[in-house]
Amino acid sequence: MGASAPPPQANPPVRGSRRPAPAGPLGFVWSSVVMGWRWLTRMRTALYLLGALALMSVIGTLVPQEPNVPSTVLEWREGESGPGVLVSQLLDAFGAFDVYGSPLFNALLLLLYLSLTACLIPRIRAWIRLVRRSQPPLIRHLGRQDASADLVTDATPDQVHATATQLLRRRRWRVRTGPIDPSATAGDAASAATPAHARKPDQVAAEKGLVSREGGSLLFHLSFYVLLGAIVFGQLMTFEGQRGVVEGEPGFRDTAVSYWSYAPGRWFGEGDHAGWRLDLDEFHVDWVRDPMAAGAGQPTEFRSEVTITPEEGEPYEATIDSNRPIDVEGMQVTQLDWGYAPRVVVEVDGEVVHDGFITPQVEDGGAYRGAVKAPAADPDVGLEIFLYPFAPDDDETGRPIPTGAPWDDAPMLLFRQWRGDLQLGATQQTLNELDTSALESEGGAYLRLGQRIEVGDVTIAFPELRRWAGLQVSSRPAIPALLGGAVLLVVGLVASLYAYRRRLWVLARHDEETGRTVVTVAGRAFQRPEAFEVEHAELFEELSTAVEHDHRPGEGTPPGRQPGPPDPTDTPHPNTPDDHEVVRP
Amino acid sequence: MSQDQLVELSRLLYSPTTLLLYLGAAFFYLYALTTTVGRREERRRGRRAQLVGGVLAVIGIGTHVAHEIVRGLAQDRLPLGNMFEVTSLMALVGVVTGLVYLQFVRRRPELNGFVLLGGSLVLALALLMYADPGPLMPILDTWWRPFHVSLLVAAMGIFAAAFVFNALYLLRDTAERSVAAATTARSGGSTVGAAYIGDLEQRPDGPGDPTPHGERPDDDEVEREHARAYRDELRKGIPVLRLAVGTFLGTSLVSWVFWYSEASTAAGVSRFLSVNLVMVATALLARWFVPFLPATATLDGLAHRTIAFAFVLWTVGTIAGAMWAEISWGRFWGWDPKETGAFLTWIAYAGYLHARATRGVRGRRAAWIGIAAFVVLMGTYLIANYVVVGLHSYAEL
Repeated sequence: MGASAPPPQANPPVRGSRRPAPAGPLGFVWSSVVMGWRWLTRMRTALYLLGALALMSVIGTLVPQEPNVPSTVLEWREGESGPGVLVSQLLDAFGAFDVYGSPLFNALLLLLYLSLTACLIPRIRAWIRLVRRSQPPLIRHLGRQDASADLVTDATPDQVHATATQLLRRRRWRVRTGPIDPSATAGDAASAATPAHARKPDQVAAEKGLVSREGGSLLFHLSFYVLLGAIVFGQLMTFEGQRGVVEGEPGFRDTAVSYWSYAPGRWFGEGDHAGWRLDLDEFHVDWVRDPMAAGAGQPTEFRSEVTITPEEGEPYEATIDSNRPIDVEGMQVTQLDWGYAPRVVVEVDGEVVHDGFITPQVEDGGAYRGAVKAPAADPDVGLEIFLYPFAPDDDETGRPIPTGAPWDDAPMLLFRQWRGDLQLGATQQTLNELDTSALESEGGAYLRLGQRIEVGDVTIAFPELRRWAGLQVSSRPAIPALLGGAVLLVVGLVASLYAYRRRLWVLARHDEETGRTVVTVAGRAFQRPEAFEVEHAELFEELSTAVEHDHRPGEGTPPGRQPGPPDPTDTPHPNTPDDHEVVRP
Repeated sequence: MSQDQLVELSRLLYSPTTLLLYLGAAFFYLYALTTTVGRREERRRGRRAQLVGGVLAVIGIGTHVAHEIVRGLAQDRLPLGNMFEVTSLMALVGVVTGLVYLQFVRRRPELNGFVLLGGSLVLALALLMYADPGPLMPILDTWWRPFHVSLLVAAMGIFAAAFVFNALYLLRDTAERSVAAATTARSGGSTVGAAYIGDLEQRPDGPGDPTPHGERPDDDEVEREHARAYRDELRKGIPVLRLAVGTFLGTSLVSWVFWYSEASTAAGVSRFLSVNLVMVATALLARWFVPFLPATATLDGLAHRTIAFAFVLWTVGTIAGAMWAEISWGRFWGWDPKETGAFLTWIAYAGYLHARATRGVRGRRAAWIGIAAFVVLMGTYLIANYVVVGLHSYAEL
């Protein structure tokens, strides 16, 4: 055999010729850029960057995050809790209170994507070359492969090769046939002239999994671009607003000004609101009330019955359940929060300065904390409210005992009155909090449902108790793209972890001594050798049955006959015609 | 049956019944492993022990499943709602997948004992988090929950099995390396001709026939002696103190949570110490079995394949979680402690798979990454429940 065997083209070269660096200071810049790029493309760099991202998310877990819990962050900054003012200032300097929005996090993310891109471009080019051009090499020493098995048959080598080719093609292998020595393919006439057994051995070389393995891995990595694109698009186009609604009271309209908290993306305009109206008819909530039962005190139901009035069209009713948000004209309405809504009437000198429902929120210990702000009085009246829904009277003292239970069997409204300047609009304050810096305490008292009480010239009444539901209205047009990215990710992941590239060779030789044909089926896998071992055994078995079946005398195998297990010492068939007489079309 | 009786029954089925059955099965399997190098009658006894181990394991799985069903009946919901239930199912999935994979796919039943041992440990860990059955919060009462949680729990169980394989790989590899180094040193820099006979004959690559039963029983005896010496050498290759201290410190990376979360220091320390000491004892037990382990390449491959499978489950489970969060909390990702934990675990195991995919980072370094990834998994699992309060917290404890 000559030394001119074609070189294997398993991994064709990827890079073209490189341009030499220019001289002078420009050369320094150029080589720095090249060096930086090479550093970026290293797998290790990508892993370091991932590690840094992971570390930042740990910090994000341990340090309170401003977008999630602004009040805790404020306490940390003021030194009321946490590690102290100095450490908080240090944390602030590094953006640790908003890790996921910090420049460092975004820079890392950018570097990671750059690294990913730099890594993927050559891989994609190499993969395309591989898919288009790769051919399994023809080899000489089949026995050196990881898996190898022999078979003896009376079919001619050509017949065996044809059968093997057919079998492998049917199983979607990439098949290449030919003699190891290219001189043997000099001409069809020449090969026809030589007797089959005198020719240089042909072989069938096959390869599989080169599209799916690397392709899966590439798909997996490319899906991150889809995800990133969807997230960026989502940041721009999303809208999220929250609003509390009291049962039976007028609800709200979907407009830019009606939400308590309003977070539109940059590209979400006021005109994108649908303008529908939502009213809360009833809010249902219940608990395991038996203190001895398992899970005592746990809620068992949250449900909002609402009426939606589209801008044009008839109003309709809908139910929002814990895991069943409703869709209103492309916007998702989710139920996030709830609380008791006491109606508080405040009169100063017989004149009503406040009459309405407030929406206190639950705190640790089961109290619902809220505030009444009455700027109509002079000076302003502010009430700090604590509502205990279940505070039964003590049998002995007759005074209410607040419990942590959330059901409203014995509601008690505890308040502290403040007079002075509420500073509405002047300072940052939430709906349920008073800014007491310009207020003076005037003492407090408690009220039962339906009672009224006079404190100085102020009369406070608690005539009614309802509930309110905190609803979130959101529009996330990027969700389908995100889902698509996730599907690509999973498909790519499964392919890259489960597909494996492998090669198989079938070589049939005429054995001069016995006059029969020895077939070697050998192969090896680039990945998952244990899976290939099984596949090799299967293929071997199938090939041996196929060879036997195809070349049985008269091709008349009785139907239903199952071929037995492969037997290397194949029993001879007495009626087999002479191998050399069988001519292939 | 009344509710209380059901609760009591489910507890009994769990501990001691299932725990003892798993431990018993592990004992028989491990005993069978030691007989693979013995005489013919000993090996016969080993095969019988393996059979007994298999029967015990199947009964154990049966009682474990029965426990889950009874518990589900007692609280009228799927037992996937709190940390005890999740950890218990993690053990069940780990044992079932590990055994099925080893027995029927890879045909390495001799490793079953270690999987059962790991399962027993997870089972015992769950007891530290025991909570009585109870109803579910309405927000959890949706088909998303079993879908999301069971995927992640299954992934956790399989990651646990992968941890067992990685740990065994590291033990075996350390032992083999140190024996090779010692032999090299003895024979003056060349390993040629310096191997123990046992090194050639006892390649414990399976429970095959390691010693040819030749005509001359004396030779047989000599070879057995050599094999024993080689086994001792392998064991000595792993320094006891280093293994014990290393295991103690490594376990502490996770088990400090038990110390931290317990109100009284004494109870916390006792929990912390008992978790650590059980792990140290298991490590020392595994060290004794090092000579009977299969080849390092086999263990490495087992760890890789199990992690690959579990990683897919973890990915799908996390995506399902994000989808559920979108409809339940109105946002798909909010860096809640649990979400961060899932993300970190994903990164850690992605790091392992990347390390494996890149040439050069195989074997020991990859195995260490796998161990570290499991530490991240267990650490974030416990921390997100015991230490940091988040949206997922109500589901646990």
